[in-house]
Amino acid sequence: MSGAVGREAVFPTRQSLGLMKNKLKGAEIGHSLLKRKSEALTKRFRDITRRIDEAKQKMGRVMQIAAFSLAEVSYAVGGDIGYQIQESAKQARFRVRAKQENVSGVLLPTFESYTQEGVNDFGLTGLGKGGQQIQRCRETYARAVETLVELASLQTAFLILDEVIKVVNRRVNAIEHVIIPRTENTIKYINSELDELDREEFYRLKKVSGKKQRDVAAADAEILAARQKKAEEQAANPKVPDATAIFVQEEEATDVLGEQEDNDVIF
Amino acid sequence: MEGLFFNVNGGYVEGIVRGYRNSLLSGQNYSNLTQCETIDDVKLQLAPSYGDFLASLSPNPSTSDLASRMTDKLVSEFKYLIAQATGSSAKFLEYMTYGYMIDNIALLITGTLHERDTRELLERCHPLGWFETLPVLCVATNIEELYNSVLIETPLAAYFKGSLSHQDLDELNIEIVRNTLYKNYLEDFYNFINTHPDFSGTPTQDVMAEILQFEADRRSINITLNSFGTELSKLERRKLYPEFGKLYPEGSLMLSRAEDVEGVALAVSAVADYKAFFDAVGLSQGGGGLGGMGGGPADGKSLEDLFYQKEMDLSKLVFTRQFTPAVVYAWMKLKEQEIRNVTWISECIAQNQKERIGNFISVF
Repeated sequence: MSGAVGREAVFPTRQSLGLMKNKLKGAEIGHSLLKRKSEALTKRFRDITRRIDEAKQKMGRVMQIAAFSLAEVSYAVGGDIGYQIQESAKQARFRVRAKQENVSGVLLPTFESYTQEGVNDFGLTGLGKGGQQIQRCRETYARAVETLVELASLQTAFLILDEVIKVVNRRVNAIEHVIIPRTENTIKYINSELDELDREEFYRLKKVSGKKQRDVAAADAEILAARQKKAEEQAANPKVPDATAIFVQEEEATDVLGEQEDNDVIF
Repeated sequence: MEGLFFNVNGGYVEGIVRGYRNSLLSGQNYSNLTQCETIDDVKLQLAPSYGDFLASLSPNPSTSDLASRMTDKLVSEFKYLIAQATGSSAKFLEYMTYGYMIDNIALLITGTLHERDTRELLERCHPLGWFETLPVLCVATNIEELYNSVLIETPLAAYFKGSLSHQDLDELNIEIVRNTLYKNYLEDFYNFINTHPDFSGTPTQDVMAEILQFEADRRSINITLNSFGTELSKLERRKLYPEFGKLYPEGSLMLSRAEDVEGVALAVSAVADYKAFFDAVGLSQGGGGLGGMGGGPADGKSLEDLFYQKEMDLSKLVFTRQFTPAVVYAWMKLKEQEIRNVTWISECIAQNQKERIGNFISVF
């Protein structure tokens, strides 16, 4: 695992350890947020897929009815009216408005259809015969187009959501499988390096203090030997005052202090 | 007496038409057609009467291709008839083509108004409404020119004269122009069969007067029904009613005042036939689908269907008379209805909507 993701190139210091810990925390929060976003989008996505399915089936039915109503028109009128209709249509009666909808930070365009009442360009077509069929056919086709518009907005949302979900999932996976392990690795590395330093230091201290003890022991032995010699000398010549002994005692006290001080400096 | 010399001039044409009549699809043919599963089957069933015209169709043709081929056959047969006709019969047959001319001219006027390439439009024109000066209409680039120099040369000039000026062509809805022309045409035709010395007092006058009266009434009723909810004013509407027919004048006056379907039902209630139609589709009770094949009447018949049915019945009756070119008119109407029927049946088959396939009108 550590071989796969590696670690970041940082110096194993306490400062960078802190930085890495912050980074890990951030990555975990980001991960959970993105995961939630991805879930929300996926939910929406499923909803849209279901609605697309419904709309497509509805469209099939509506288009069939519409095509059939056109057949009725051609039966009633007894000819081709396509050209007349094309020429007399000047204004759009059926219009589409585009809006935007916000789904967890994704802007989805939605199309809303509405009919402009009062626009009735070919109301008189088929005045002689078949006029009612033409009007009804128009209504049927208006419904068909309505379904198409609905389907169009769903399809657009579908495509956009698909793209966004892919991006979000890629981010989630990147955080989960690359950034978090790498940061963890780095932290582990920094920790192990710091531990190593600690151990080295501890060993060194132990060595220093061992050496100091030996030195102290040697000094003690020397003093002891000196005292014995003095005692022997006193025994031989008892009149000499015990000044050196006092001096030695004093020196011992400062020596201990010095050692204490030394310790402090190291740590 | 009128039969004595009729065959000298009109006998051949009449004989030919009676022959054509026999090739019209019968009820048996229709029930075979409704059993078809594909358009190819339909094509096969139509082979006896339309054989050579359908032969060049690609496999599984579209219904519009099928319909256009059938129309081609009708056109070629009619052209043969009009080439054979002489004298007053020829004039009568020419009158029959004026209705199609009106459609063609309306099409070209629409094209000119929108500054389209009118040459394209010529292809869309109905071949029966073709006349020599029709392509000249394409020369005109604006409405005034069209009116002053071109329309005046057409056989329809008389119908424009007096009721439409060139400003009207520009401002009026083309549908109003078309219906005004059609009204003038019907009146002229009616006048022609009633006053022409070769026709007055002959079976032609009898049957054609009835058919044309029915046609005029049907147009008046349809125009009224279709104008509800549009910007067409009552005064303008009244101008579109042909001034003859069973409804004229009282019925027409009431129609022009009608504001809804009940008003129309009331206006036509004086004529038993139309009253029966309105009762049958339930419009007189004030309700439901306006002439709807789709919604409304339980037996699936709409007002338009009933009108077509009546027209077919009248046309069928014409064949009981002899020594009259009116059989050509009747044959033509029957043939057109047949084309519509076949188109309807093949649409139903193509769109897999078999439940309404029986909604055609067969009279034989």
